[in-house]
Amino acid sequence: MNRRHGIQALLATAVSAITGPVAASAARLRIGLTSVILADQVAFLSRWERYLSSNVGCEVSFVARESYQAILDLLFSGQIDAAWICGYPYIRYESDLSLLAVPLYEGEPVYQAYLIRSRQLDVAIKQWSDLRGKVLAYSDPLSNSGWLVAQVQLALAGVRERDLKRVFFAHGHRNVAEAVAARLAQAGSIDGYVWETMRQQGMAAIAQTEVVWKSERHGFPPLVTLRNTAHPFRPQLQQAVLSMSNDGVGQALLHDLNLTGFTAGSPDLFDSIRRQAQTVPGSGVGA
Amino acid sequence: MTALLVTAVSARMSASTARRETLAMLDRAVVLLVAQARPLLVGDDTWRTFTLLRDTVGLIPGAATGHTRLAVLDTEGRVFAASEPVQLEIGRTLLGSDWHGQRLMSASNLRTRQQLALNNGAVILLEPIRSEDGQSLGYVFMEVEAPVFEPDWLALAKTALIGITLAVMLLAPAGWWVGRRMTRPVERLVKVIERVGREAPNRLRNEVPQTTDPELRRIGGAVLQLMSELEQREKAEARALSAQRLATVGRMTAAVAHEINNPLAGLITATQTLRLHGDSEPIRLSTVDLLERGLQQIRTTVAALLPQARREDRALEPGDLDDIVTLVRTTAVRQHITLTTRLEVESALRVPSAPLRQVMLNMLLNALGAAGEHGRIEAVLKADAESVHFSVLNTGTPLSSEKFNTTLDTESGQDPRGFGLWVCQELASHFRGGFNLDETTDSGTRLVFWLPNREPLEKET
Repeated sequence: MNRRHGIQALLATAVSAITGPVAASAARLRIGLTSVILADQVAFLSRWERYLSSNVGCEVSFVARESYQAILDLLFSGQIDAAWICGYPYIRYESDLSLLAVPLYEGEPVYQAYLIRSRQLDVAIKQWSDLRGKVLAYSDPLSNSGWLVAQVQLALAGVRERDLKRVFFAHGHRNVAEAVAARLAQAGSIDGYVWETMRQQGMAAIAQTEVVWKSERHGFPPLVTLRNTAHPFRPQLQQAVLSMSNDGVGQALLHDLNLTGFTAGSPDLFDSIRRQAQTVPGSGVGA
Repeated sequence: MTALLVTAVSARMSASTARRETLAMLDRAVVLLVAQARPLLVGDDTWRTFTLLRDTVGLIPGAATGHTRLAVLDTEGRVFAASEPVQLEIGRTLLGSDWHGQRLMSASNLRTRQQLALNNGAVILLEPIRSEDGQSLGYVFMEVEAPVFEPDWLALAKTALIGITLAVMLLAPAGWWVGRRMTRPVERLVKVIERVGREAPNRLRNEVPQTTDPELRRIGGAVLQLMSELEQREKAEARALSAQRLATVGRMTAAVAHEINNPLAGLITATQTLRLHGDSEPIRLSTVDLLERGLQQIRTTVAALLPQARREDRALEPGDLDDIVTLVRTTAVRQHITLTTRLEVESALRVPSAPLRQVMLNMLLNALGAAGEHGRIEAVLKADAESVHFSVLNTGTPLSSEKFNTTLDTESGQDPRGFGLWVCQELASHFRGGFNLDETTDSGTRLVFWLPNREPLEKET
């Protein structure tokens, strides 16, 4: 078991007690998320929990899962009170979700999807059409940058999935980078913010990969809550998150996340994703 | 050399052990992979299969050096995921294709676990992965290349080097020391054995090395036993010789008594004559002459007897033969035997007198017994730079060499008839000389006793 799996197991253990329908507790607020791109994820999350707990006025805890679907399942089943998900599942379940906050990356609530390839490839991959007969790694079936963007671009390049040698999901953007670095896949569809943050943190896998293509800017993966089940401390949570950049501890946490802050955001931030999803059959987003 | 041989043997042993252990580990890894890969294949999860293989290969020897690789193949025998994606890229057909120049079994024929030994020394394990209801889901592929099975020469060389160094530093000196310890008692024992019979057993006994080695102790014990028997024998000889001397003296007592008695009767008569007729000058003078001759005769007899009764420690002199002849002459005269002696001494005599006198007396007494009435005895003492010979010829019934040897072979000279001659032979062997029958003699019997003409190695009795 590698470190990442260990962390996931720890986090899973930490929330294993949360099973079955649990009544919303005024004393607790649970936020679900997929893994953040940090070597010391557990330590970071406990720092963030302490910070938010003191600012929200109730106990705040994080629940980590490997996929967006697992987070959504917890949210819809009332086992968590808020979730940090991708823009694609947000617009897919827009009718049930409400925006809590949108992270600011380099001052903007947007990011790009990247197509990356291995540096050691003996075959050139310069564009989406070059992926014919190649192995492509996706991140998550509910990821905009890790799946939806690739579907749109492959369709535009006239490449059907059966033209590829193989596609697989790596269960996280970080794993996409690792799969491409190991040359398990010749190319990968990845969240640009994640790739840049990994590079900034000097992660080894990044040195083995290079960016082939960057997408247009899309709304950054937002923090959401259920539209019709408001947690009593939701306003305090939103306030605490939005004002993180106003104090030293919050700034240090944001620095670790490679973010500059949070904004309230608006649904139109995700229009580009919505448009894309409408062109992709089976995306779950109607035209 | 030993260290090298041991290293070579241990290299072979460690190679076969390492091979067995590696194969056993592969077996366990296959079982693990089949169980873990089953749900991943069902879920078509390439990434998790890859991480499973990547984590598992780390447990198998040769992973760090790139000599070991694992893969999970799909139902067609194509790579689904591999621990080394660069060598075993996704989608590559393995089953039914050539791999390292050898054709692998096709997927349709692979029903049970297969272990293949490739020509290049690599070992490949193939195991089908089946669903619980027996459907084929794919295959586990494992390859371990030859270098993994080879002995770790570097480590072994290090061991050999340590072994050789230890051997040189410790074992060689220790071996030399042990060898010396083992051989030194042997050398000492050999030296002792060389001196047995020539030196006093008492002194030699102290020089027999004391050792804990059972074999050497046995030999040492045997040497001590030999010396003790020799000593016993020498004591027996000495006892026999002195007994024989006493016996000889005893036997001579009658003759001596006779020798003394003869003049005594005359002397007693002469004293009476002096008492009665001492006034007469002529009678007194003749009587005193008679007294003087009688006393002279007694003195001569006693003088000849004294050395025989005394243990001496001097070289033989020609006069010794005269003494012996004096002692036996009476017997010869009584038996009407003509006794002549001859001296042919051309060199200084360097042999001990006591044993030679004993020998001469024995040989003459034996000759007197054998010569018979009116016989003739001829005794010759010869000496040159090399040896001293004493021979006695008697004209009695000739003694055959067979009879002579039988007489001498009589154990310990217990046959009283041959005792004198047996003593002669013992003395001859003791002084490294000889005692034999001269078979060239035409008439009668000539016995010859000889000794090297040199100082004895040590004082002998």
